Amino acid sequence: MNAILDLVKRPLLVALLLIVGLLLLGEWLSPGFASGQQILRLLIVAALLGIVAAGQNLVILGGREGIDLSVGGVVSLSAIIAGNLMNGADAGIPLAILACVAAGALFGLLNGLGVTLLRIPPLVMTLGMLGVLQGLLVVIRQGIPSGRAAPGLSQFVSQPFLLGLPGIIWLWIAVGVAMALLLNRTIFGQRVYAIGSNEHAAWMAGVPVRLVRIGIFMLSGVFAAIAGICLLGYSGSSFANVGEQYMLPSIIAVVFGGTSLAGGKGGYTGTMAGAFMLVILQSILTTVNIDESGRQMVFGATLLVLMLFYGRGKAMRA
Amino acid sequence: MSKLKLGGVSKAYGATMALRRGDLEVEAGEVHVLIGSNGSGKSTLCKIAAGSVRPDAGEVSIDGQPVRISGPQAARSLGIGIFYQELSLAAHRTVAENIFLPDLPVTAGLFVDRAALSGRAARYTALFDGVAGDGLSTDAVVENLRADQRQLVEIMKALATEAPILIFDEPTSALDRAQVDRFFDILRDLKGQGRAMIFISHRMDEIFAIGDRVTVMRDGETVATARIADTDQAEVVRHMVGEAGQGAQAAAPAPVAEGETVLAVRGISGVGYSGVSFEVRKGEILGFGGLHGQGQSRVLRAIFGAHPVASGEILLHGTRLAARGPREAIRSGLAYVSGDRGRDGVIHGRPILENVIPIHALRQRLHLANPAALRQKAQAAVEALRTKFAGFSHPINSLSGGNQQKIVIARWLIDRPDVLLLDDPTKGIDLSAKADLFALIRRLAAEGLGIVLYSSEDAELLANADRILVFNGGRVTRELTGEARTRFNLTQAAYEAA
Repeated sequence: MNAILDLVKRPLLVALLLIVGLLLLGEWLSPGFASGQQILRLLIVAALLGIVAAGQNLVILGGREGIDLSVGGVVSLSAIIAGNLMNGADAGIPLAILACVAAGALFGLLNGLGVTLLRIPPLVMTLGMLGVLQGLLVVIRQGIPSGRAAPGLSQFVSQPFLLGLPGIIWLWIAVGVAMALLLNRTIFGQRVYAIGSNEHAAWMAGVPVRLVRIGIFMLSGVFAAIAGICLLGYSGSSFANVGEQYMLPSIIAVVFGGTSLAGGKGGYTGTMAGAFMLVILQSILTTVNIDESGRQMVFGATLLVLMLFYGRGKAMRA
Repeated sequence: MSKLKLGGVSKAYGATMALRRGDLEVEAGEVHVLIGSNGSGKSTLCKIAAGSVRPDAGEVSIDGQPVRISGPQAARSLGIGIFYQELSLAAHRTVAENIFLPDLPVTAGLFVDRAALSGRAARYTALFDGVAGDGLSTDAVVENLRADQRQLVEIMKALATEAPILIFDEPTSALDRAQVDRFFDILRDLKGQGRAMIFISHRMDEIFAIGDRVTVMRDGETVATARIADTDQAEVVRHMVGEAGQGAQAAAPAPVAEGETVLAVRGISGVGYSGVSFEVRKGEILGFGGLHGQGQSRVLRAIFGAHPVASGEILLHGTRLAARGPREAIRSGLAYVSGDRGRDGVIHGRPILENVIPIHALRQRLHLANPAALRQKAQAAVEALRTKFAGFSHPINSLSGGNQQKIVIARWLIDRPDVLLLDDPTKGIDLSAKADLFALIRRLAAEGLGIVLYSSEDAELLANADRILVFNGGRVTRELTGEARTRFNLTQAAYEAA
């Protein structure tokens, strides 16, 4: 009973109510918006964001102003690597997955090392890493063609896979379960919360603070890389800054889901709801003909408003 | 007629009486020493005189006229200047700006007159010429100064008030010998000018070197005032300890520790402590005593790997311990409990279970957290301390301070350590929790743990420690064993010159 009470915290409830409200609003603006087919399409898009946000969630939970601004760059890089290695053939899928996950882990490791050993603030470190990734993408794009998704991958992402749901939705569910297990049933998960809540006390209790933080950033890179592969499957081919659209929304989804930007408090269930809510909002903005720049402004404003409600009290205490 | 007189002032914070009955009379042209153990009320008394604390009852008068000191500003205009024990400097401002922070010289009613500022400040920095060390100039930024230099700036700031009544609350704690001597010269000079000064220090030699009269406080009350010339150190200590404390010694007769040595510390030195050596046997409770902040905490942290050790060695079961951090120390069998549980112990907002199991997880190299199995392990540990709580899944912050500390201690009980380091573990917890805690400590000792207990409460040490090392200025200056473990000896050792 307590577990259920803990689960249904206010932010999650708010997110769910908003999801229903936004769907009704969309249906009113444009009949058919909340049809089963359409909701499924929204869920696919939400899954992509949700997987990126899983990594972001861990980074933010780990505290010390944890934030990963490089996720978008890793998503783009992963999509390009995967496109090239597959180049339209299913045979390339295993190698592509391996290479992307390794690349994601590598850039996560670099972020982690910069933050822990060089003591660079995460905001600066990951912003710098984003710059490096963007430069790298330009270089790669000049040398090689972008490549195409393997048919099997595209099918996995957008065609029914099991019980009428596309594979990517099952993948998102699997990520959700994995995150719940990681955070609640492993010592690593408890250490993530511990360093986010009181790093000094965690250190005094023998928590390997640096290793945990490096692990967190590596996981963030890996989640972003997985999302990059899926994004390639969703769009068929990759283009340079395909992943850029994930940076701000991945943070908003986490904060909206009730995770404190100061760290140590929150979980992934709320983040999933936050991701879905954001995708619906994005779709509504498109429906009413608000262009990309307008959507960016709405997202930025959303984050600021969220900070006002959720982030501030804890952040000021910390 | 006294320059400053406080009569029967009292102050309570909630249920805690910080000051029961404070009486103090200071004459013009004297240095009046105020002395008493931690928590005896002397700082509260000074804060009342300086206007930063308002008394619940009692009278304050200056030159025989009753006054109401409504705040620090009012105190200043009444001619009272104070040196605060907690340094109150603005780190990013210059020495000159800090000295005149209350009233900076201004031109055209708006801009700080830098030239005038430096000129006036130079008069005060010049007082410590030759002993202040490099880098202390009027335009130096305070954060770049050493601790002793900052304390000098704080002194200059008090002197610059040019107030007829000056209060110095532990002004010499960070100063070296030459700086103290210069400061005393300045005080003698001020005495000649007819200023009234209150001087708080924990160094008995300083008190007898500079004081004209001494007022002793104990348990929030003024117990005696005497002329320094008519008294001696032993008498002052007797007043501090009180009648009841004269003969009072450790309640339990010290058991002769026969066990093998578990922890041996050989001449360790580092920031804030030096040349510390001792041994702890199995089943022994070794006490660390002395005034607060004399290196006791730092030594315990250093052993635990949480504070650097510059030289010396630490042996656990005869093998050299090279703990690079708490993690290695824990793995080798050390445990450390801090009294500052909010900073060092509690993982805020997380369930009680997660606050109990980190040590177990580390020592058993666990990766999976099976709640049912961990609960079972934790249950025995928290029961040993009679911890009151509703359930392991409740956040630790739902507990009282005492129970939070019990949870933090319970961490160390699942996998027993060999040595338990207790760093003022009962700070801010209730009496029943203290009793439970000491019952546990004795039980653990009986089971063969080596225990080091630092406590800022002498009574706790006398009642629980088999042997007491008294710290003074980062060194062990006295060892009290057997019959010698009396409150008188403990107090005297704490206050004698380092």
